[in-house]
Amino acid sequence: MSRYEIRYGAVGGQGLLTAGALLVNIAVTKENKYAVESPTYTASVRGGATKVDIIISDKRILFPQANAIDFFVCTEQKPFDLYKERLKDDAIVIIDTHLVKEVGNPRNWKLMRIPLVYETKKQLGNIVLTSVVTLALTQKITGIIGYRNMVDYVREWAPQDYIDLNLKAIEVGRELIK
Amino acid sequence: MKQRQVLQGNTIVAKAAIAAGCDFFAGYPITPSSEIAQFMSMEMPRLGYDFIQMEDEISSLGACIGASLAGKKAMTATSGPGFSLMQEHLGLAVMAEIPIVIVNVMRGGPSTGMPTKPSQSDIMQTRWGTHGDHPIIVVYPAFASQLFSETIRAFNLSEKFWNPVIILLDEVIAKAREDIALPRKKDLNIYWEKTKQIEDLNIYDREIGQNPPRVDFFKKYPIHIDSLEHDKHGWPTTDPKIVDKMQTLRMQKIYNYLDEIITHEEYYLDDAEIMVFSFGISARSSLAAVEMAREQGIKVGLFQALTIWPFPKLLLREKFKKIKKILVVEMNMGQTIYEIERTATDDVERQALLRANGVPFTPTEVLEAIKRFKK
Repeated sequence: MSRYEIRYGAVGGQGLLTAGALLVNIAVTKENKYAVESPTYTASVRGGATKVDIIISDKRILFPQANAIDFFVCTEQKPFDLYKERLKDDAIVIIDTHLVKEVGNPRNWKLMRIPLVYETKKQLGNIVLTSVVTLALTQKITGIIGYRNMVDYVREWAPQDYIDLNLKAIEVGRELIK
Repeated sequence: MKQRQVLQGNTIVAKAAIAAGCDFFAGYPITPSSEIAQFMSMEMPRLGYDFIQMEDEISSLGACIGASLAGKKAMTATSGPGFSLMQEHLGLAVMAEIPIVIVNVMRGGPSTGMPTKPSQSDIMQTRWGTHGDHPIIVVYPAFASQLFSETIRAFNLSEKFWNPVIILLDEVIAKAREDIALPRKKDLNIYWEKTKQIEDLNIYDREIGQNPPRVDFFKKYPIHIDSLEHDKHGWPTTDPKIVDKMQTLRMQKIYNYLDEIITHEEYYLDDAEIMVFSFGISARSSLAAVEMAREQGIKVGLFQALTIWPFPKLLLREKFKKIKKILVVEMNMGQTIYEIERTATDDVERQALLRANGVPFTPTEVLEAIKRFKK
């Protein structure tokens, strides 16, 4: 794997910057890979369209933002419209079933619709956990990081009282893409 | 090297400042530099050092100047709008020869512009923002490891040459979280000239080209510091002979040491027919583009300026003896391209890839510009 590019698009507060930070930390500290997380956000952070690019590579990363995206998860229409540029023709694209309606020209994308935010809220009670759910489904689909390393890291990272909930979020994420 | 970890660019700069001996920070948080102040507000008190959030950027630099005079290693961090406010005090620091480190994480401008978007538009402001002829040192890191090493260097240069040093940063790099292996403390080269016991109060008395000594102004000596042109005692003067000498002293303390001050990185330049000249985030796109171009057999290399002021004129002139095409890549409407125009000999073909809309050049875009230039 030379350079793998992931983009998460969301609105501020959905927690996808956290998902990006988790992914980068796991790649670097658990797998000894090179990784960068590069966020972009608008002035009105909460509720405004945001994206985060995550680059993971075996080599030193030169350009820290996405150039040709392999994997895109988007949980809102506005960021989808703004940030679908630079997707590879054969990118894996995951969109929220309820929150992204208009896809436009899907080219040769492997497009998946998942009720990401709805299921997170329903099964875990808090959409903040969209971050860990997204991390888990990214792991399962791309294999860019190992499952064991992800679980270990989330266990270390989560506050004591929320470890179980975060581990449950991992399982929710994995179930969603069965 | 320690174990690799993930740190945000702004945090790397703040950590490096502390490693360089920074024991005073005054600032007014502003996007996209706020995490520097945030980190300092937590770390400095923990270490027994001073952190002050001031009422604005003018007072922030004022506080740093005062702290530096009292023997502290002082730093502030800001962005374009705040840096504009600092120009008056920046001039004072140059005039009175006070070591200070100022971080400017650039954002879209002019005015409040685009707070959350990157730009490389303050390059000329760092050179000529404050009025009057003056020397300035500006370093411009691009990679995570350079954020650390250039911050250390900024403090060292500032202390050594008794001059403000500016660290320019790009929003993308300041906000990104990247992997870095921080160096161990014992491996760092920190310059810290001990306070001199001066015999008399002629603190500005020295020969042209000599470095000034470091004096803890407020510890015991009744020393006069003035923003007016001054004599060797620091007292105001307009005597043309003395003014001549003082102006030359201030210029030469920097310009006699260019070899020591100016640093750059070069990539694939040995056999290059085209040289890309860039810095910051644009240098990172450019390096990726150069590697893509090399795979396609295009003989192109990159000159990454790590010190942008003083401008690396002599180094570039050396390159122009062999390389006859230069492509400047910068996120502004054209700034260093003019410096290149002044530097390049007539037989050198020059082009610039410019944009200031808040979107960094992608490697693909730089590659296309290289290909257009090659034709």
